[in-house]
Amino acid sequence: MCFLTRSEYDRGVSTFSPEGRLYQVEYAIEAIKLGSTAVGVATPHGVVLGVEKRSQSPLLLSTSIEKILTIDSHIGCAMSGLTADARTMVDHARVVGQNHRFSYDEPLLVESCSQSVCDLALRFGEGVDEQDDDEQMMSRPFGVSLLLAGIDERGPQLYHTDPSGTFMRYDAKAIGSGSEAAQSELLDKYHKNLSLEDAQVLVLGVLKQVMEERLDEHNVQLAQVTQEESFRILPINQLQNAISRLPNQQPTQEPQQ
Amino acid sequence: MSFSPYTQNGGTILAIAGKDFCVVAGDTRQSEGFSIQSRYETKVWRLNEKATIAANGFAADCKQLVKRVKWRLETYKHAHNREMPLKSIARMVQTMLYGKRFFPFYSYVIIGGIDDDGTGAVYGFDPVGSYERETCRAAGAAQSLLQPFLDNQIYFRNQQPADPTNPPIPGTLPLDNVLAIVTDSFTGATERHIEVGDALEMYVVTNSNCDLGALQQITQSATKTDLEQVAREEAEFNGPKSCKTFKLLRQLKKD
Amino acid sequence: MNMSNNFTSWGRPFTDAKMDMYGGDVTQRYQLGAQQMTVPDDKFSEGVQKTQQPIVTGTSVIGLKFKDGIMLAADNLASYGSLARFKDIQRLYGVGSNTIIGAAGDMSDFQHVQHQLDTLITDEYCHDDGHSLGPAQIYEYMSTLMYHRRSQLNPLWNAFVVGGVDPKSGESTLAYVDLLGTTYSAPTIGTGYASMIAIPLLRRLVEDRQEPLNKEDALDIIKTCMKVLFYRDARSLNKFQVATITKEGSEISQSMSVDTEWGFAEGIRGYGGQTQ
Repeated sequence: MCFLTRSEYDRGVSTFSPEGRLYQVEYAIEAIKLGSTAVGVATPHGVVLGVEKRSQSPLLLSTSIEKILTIDSHIGCAMSGLTADARTMVDHARVVGQNHRFSYDEPLLVESCSQSVCDLALRFGEGVDEQDDDEQMMSRPFGVSLLLAGIDERGPQLYHTDPSGTFMRYDAKAIGSGSEAAQSELLDKYHKNLSLEDAQVLVLGVLKQVMEERLDEHNVQLAQVTQEESFRILPINQLQNAISRLPNQQPTQEPQQ
Repeated sequence: MSFSPYTQNGGTILAIAGKDFCVVAGDTRQSEGFSIQSRYETKVWRLNEKATIAANGFAADCKQLVKRVKWRLETYKHAHNREMPLKSIARMVQTMLYGKRFFPFYSYVIIGGIDDDGTGAVYGFDPVGSYERETCRAAGAAQSLLQPFLDNQIYFRNQQPADPTNPPIPGTLPLDNVLAIVTDSFTGATERHIEVGDALEMYVVTNSNCDLGALQQITQSATKTDLEQVAREEAEFNGPKSCKTFKLLRQLKKD
Repeated sequence: MNMSNNFTSWGRPFTDAKMDMYGGDVTQRYQLGAQQMTVPDDKFSEGVQKTQQPIVTGTSVIGLKFKDGIMLAADNLASYGSLARFKDIQRLYGVGSNTIIGAAGDMSDFQHVQHQLDTLITDEYCHDDGHSLGPAQIYEYMSTLMYHRRSQLNPLWNAFVVGGVDPKSGESTLAYVDLLGTTYSAPTIGTGYASMIAIPLLRRLVEDRQEPLNKEDALDIIKTCMKVLFYRDARSLNKFQVATITKEGSEISQSMSVDTEWGFAEGIRGYGGQTQ
């Protein structure tokens, strides 16, 4: 690896290396690979998102870990990486969504939402004269990647955004520490005509494979977006129900007293 | 004595929605006081496949508003990869008008076209952006002459239905009927209001189901009427299912 | 709005006259221009004035469309109130090689517009890219300028007539823009007094004409109108220039005058002024 030789060009966030690389952006993308795994699967009926909620301590309340957030009634996202950065992005997306409803009397398109999040992601770097800038520029790229799930007149859609400000549409996508294994599992198991229920099981199955802990309703979270019910995070009983549909899954046990 | 940034340029506009079409019309006279400035200045503009706008009041403000609307439609198209829907245009125009609440555009605006589910729609505005969806609306110099007439003919107000068990429903009149009402409205307004006259432009926005028989008949029979399909190439490019807009030009009295 | 100039208010009680169609006082209801009226003060604000009235003024400009292009005319007088102050000023101005504008109203504002247009044309020339600004472009620029200034409540106190022929398409432009940013085009145009006195003549002689109008006949019509304007407009002069724009190019004539007949004035009685 050539990590040691990079030292000249990885200082400035907006300085290209002679090979044409922006190291800080690449490092930011690397940072996501340290994050917990998040998976998204699009079906003709809707999109399912699933995240792993890694618990650092038995004293931590897993209900306080928020890795899936609602952006608008028809759009939500799962995240991996520096989740605090994701809040900035989601806040921005929420404002863009509400502004769009106010100005155009219609929900924001999922693609446009992804675009606006990525526009924000690119607002880092050093200005020529900081004081002249209308808006405060960010000192570093975001260290988070999002899976945006939404539904609009163009149907259910899944988008992936990364710190370079790139967004792409996927049928199924995994991000975070287990993403490589998860991605090949998705490649294997995904097909275009999944039912929503099958998609839930697929997402959970993929998460189960890459998780260190044993999967239960406390260390994963599912969300889905459908035409009928818009975007919602599954309540605990529906999550349990989905987990119970996993092949070879023992029913989750009540904690022993 | 201080400078007043406004004037009134006369003229009248009108729009009526049908089941699968919408007619947006305006006369072409522009005046100031007793002077006719021009006998052919348009007050109606086609915005896209499904929307047409008419603006009346202070001509300079109206033109500036429409210029801005067209610009916004273009940027929207680039941002979202599609044409702005009619209801969104209506909401956008409200924000644009209200955005100048304390130095308003002196414009009475009517938007007509085809809504998301293919039915004809009319949106009427006041100069500071209050708006509502309607079946018909008249605005401008002869509003007070035309709106009561439309209330009677389009909303069937103060009429005894021939069959009380089955009263007529506003917004369901056929195209030939609506075109006749629009023409009569303007010939009537021309008789009674000095700011109305010269020529009448009628934009007919149709969806793919609309029976165009009435338009064909007009081109064949009437002598002083021009029929022109606006942006024919675009309509054909989008295939037979798309909405088409036609422009009818009819002469009015010039005295 | 200056309602006393608006016929819709005549013969109606004052409060009634300001009512719009909904029975509200529009000027009150929308507080028209209220924000712009109260511009934040700075130390120099007392020394800053906006044009509230024209000072040295030119009277009417007339224009017509004929077979080969456009003809404009304006007299050579710049008045200071009722004083005929300058009797040799030019109110027709060539912009580029295919457009001529005629100006009525404040002459200093007109000179400002001339400078603006000169800059515009020079910039375009310096691009040296084979493009030039035709009458339609110049008209759009002037409309934008005039509307912009009226929106700042700091108008350029003029009414302009823009005439030109696009050398490529051969399309002719005859259009109007004034201090409010009001714009229109028509086959005949007259500003100010001409809109009342010359327009009826022009409409009859130009618009009602059956056969195409040639350059010589157009000049006759222009002279007729300038004569009648000189008879009736107290702020006019029997010394005027005529601009002709065709596909081939544009020219502004030397100053000319028309023969007048005042003999009939002797017999007029009853409008005041006479002692007997």
